[in-house]
Amino acid sequence: MKSQNEYKLKSPPDDAISAVKFGPNNNQFLLASSWDGFVRLYDVSANNLRHKYAHDSAVLDCCFTDAVHSYSGGLDATLKSFDFNATKETTIGAHNNAIKCVEYCTDLNAIITGSWDHHVKVWDPRGPICSMNCNQGERVYTMSVCGEKLVVGTASRRILVWDVRNMSYTVQKRESNLKYQTRALRCFPNKQGFVLSSIEGRVAVEYMDTNPEIQKKKYAFKCHRIKENGLEKVYPVNAISFHPIYNTFATGGSDGFVNIWDGFNKKRLCQFHQYHTSITSLCFNHNGSVLAVACSYFLEEETAPDPLPEDAIYIRPVTDSETKPKYVAST
Amino acid sequence: MGRKKKKLSKPWCWYCNREFEDEKILIQHQKAKHFKCHICHKKLYTGPGLSIHCMQVHKETIDKVPNSLPNRSNVDIEIYGMEGIPGADLREHERQKQGSRPSNDSGSDDDEPTTKKAKPEGLLGNAPGMMQGMPNMVAGMMPPPGMPPGMAMGPMMQMGPMGPHFMHPPGMQQMMNAHMQQMMQGQAGPPKPLFPSAIPTSSTGGPGTPVVGTDFKPISSAATISAPPTTNLSLGSNGEGSKVSTIATSSATSKIIHPSEDTSLEEIRARNPKYSRNIPSKPDDGGASSSAAASELAMAVSAAQQAAAQQKQVEAMNHHAAMMQRFPVRVTGPPMTMTMGGPIMAPMRPPMMSGPPTLIGGPLMRPPPISMPPGVIGMPPGMMYGAPMFPTGPVLMQPRFR
Repeated sequence: MKSQNEYKLKSPPDDAISAVKFGPNNNQFLLASSWDGFVRLYDVSANNLRHKYAHDSAVLDCCFTDAVHSYSGGLDATLKSFDFNATKETTIGAHNNAIKCVEYCTDLNAIITGSWDHHVKVWDPRGPICSMNCNQGERVYTMSVCGEKLVVGTASRRILVWDVRNMSYTVQKRESNLKYQTRALRCFPNKQGFVLSSIEGRVAVEYMDTNPEIQKKKYAFKCHRIKENGLEKVYPVNAISFHPIYNTFATGGSDGFVNIWDGFNKKRLCQFHQYHTSITSLCFNHNGSVLAVACSYFLEEETAPDPLPEDAIYIRPVTDSETKPKYVAST
Repeated sequence: MGRKKKKLSKPWCWYCNREFEDEKILIQHQKAKHFKCHICHKKLYTGPGLSIHCMQVHKETIDKVPNSLPNRSNVDIEIYGMEGIPGADLREHERQKQGSRPSNDSGSDDDEPTTKKAKPEGLLGNAPGMMQGMPNMVAGMMPPPGMPPGMAMGPMMQMGPMGPHFMHPPGMQQMMNAHMQQMMQGQAGPPKPLFPSAIPTSSTGGPGTPVVGTDFKPISSAATISAPPTTNLSLGSNGEGSKVSTIATSSATSKIIHPSEDTSLEEIRARNPKYSRNIPSKPDDGGASSSAAASELAMAVSAAQQAAAQQKQVEAMNHHAAMMQRFPVRVTGPPMTMTMGGPIMAPMRPPMMSGPPTLIGGPLMRPPPISMPPGVIGMPPGMMYGAPMFPTGPVLMQPRFR
């Protein structure tokens, strides 16, 4: 299923790509953070690199707040923002350890950062100040914002649900349904639940509502596994991105495959061709017509291939047949 | 004596906590009660067996083992008689048996027919031990509905009748000590949660629904999947990597393509010395590092943009860098990094505040009442919002709401 229209971005990052993010309401710009210490702004339509700015060390995540402002954090534990119009960089604040996640909460105009220092901080971009600092009890590995809710996945397979308006208590605490380390977590755009993936080729669909009837619907499934000579290789599922309209989602694994799933109907909608190395990040654009696929080798294996696979970002237009549920959910 | 010994090792059903005289009877019970297909009444042998049967024969998904306790309803755990029961549950059961022994012994005498009594009260997760009037029995007790099971009785007992928000100096010290101990214990060992879950008073689910109930495997509950290979020995506040848990990455038929260390790929990658460059280890060298960053930035910009705008850009950057250098400490400075402290320090502060209740439910982005320069941000928010930040705080309040 190689799409004819898929193309590779020119001037890719020089080291592993940690995240790719489309802007909130245009197809043109893509933000990419990388382990080479830079955050890059690509013009996807023209296929060129527009800007880049540096952190002191590897950048682990980035996000847009609007078309021209980005926020990013990484191993230097510093949250930076960048204004692409003014090409002006601002240091917003810091964590005590690397910032693993940077998310923007549109509803509340807040930047949320999650760090290996076990804390989540909420930042008011107007100050800019840190308006909240919450202990998560463990290193934050992944998180996702959904309306006013924040779902945090940490080490030791914990899942915490917060209400960003009032972080004085945890709304829900769960243990991951997956046996292995949580790798990625994203909320359904319709806010009903979230999807999380583990390093052991498995994805779980969970519901927010604690009503047992609703909770019955949750499930998990295997994916991103390759059987070779009777040995099944099980790959981490590194990336999840939701289609903003259909509530379907794409997963990307270290097997180099991207799958698109219909979580409500438990169906796989399609599988893309195998990319040359691990998928580290995925992002649909705001209307779900394009999927950005970041590929970087990520040291999963004991012996790394030589030479190391190149780091690349692919832009892939997707069609309704690939992303739309095949039939309307009966429930 | 001998009798007691024997009792301890009575086979019991993991799904409903019922005890049996003989494992054979237990297996019969499980087949009839827990592994019977509700559609064709075929008796299967295990939970997974039942679920596969229903899936394949009737195209129905079973997500709970029938007639099981809420936290024991996992269909993926393979249990046959006493085989396959997670070790933690076995120990817990043992403990509970020992803990509740006096009440059982003093009360009705325990002979064979009373096995019926061992049946749990209902499926709502009511704790059998609780019903028998032993409120002090803590060990291994299942939680009463509505209270997260992970939450040990400990903190509340220690807190005594005094509400956490009415603490005054005399008692405070002890409280804090007790509290801190609690925190530390929580962080040291897996059986206790790091921070007991707090449940919003507005929680969904009808009244009487255990919030951490049916399908929620409560954190730290032993009812989780049998022996997850990722042992979550949490690392205390002070050390990532002091105890590294591992993952069994390969089995006979499969291999997980991941390092065997149970740490995220990013953390492992970050150990590579090439990523440690320029990370400010101490807040003091904020100035130096930002200048380094600036020069790097300038380089980056020049590399990226070979166009005419280049000159202007670099100038702008340099200017910005100069700005940053001028007050480096305020930007990345110590107030935040120092005062925020480790997770142990942080919880200590909030109990001193008497203000939190007024803040709860307040608007998110309320600016600090006293305007202050953006540079000194770390400290005041910590103080202002100290209490709400404290995850365990509201838990302590919980009893008051109920």
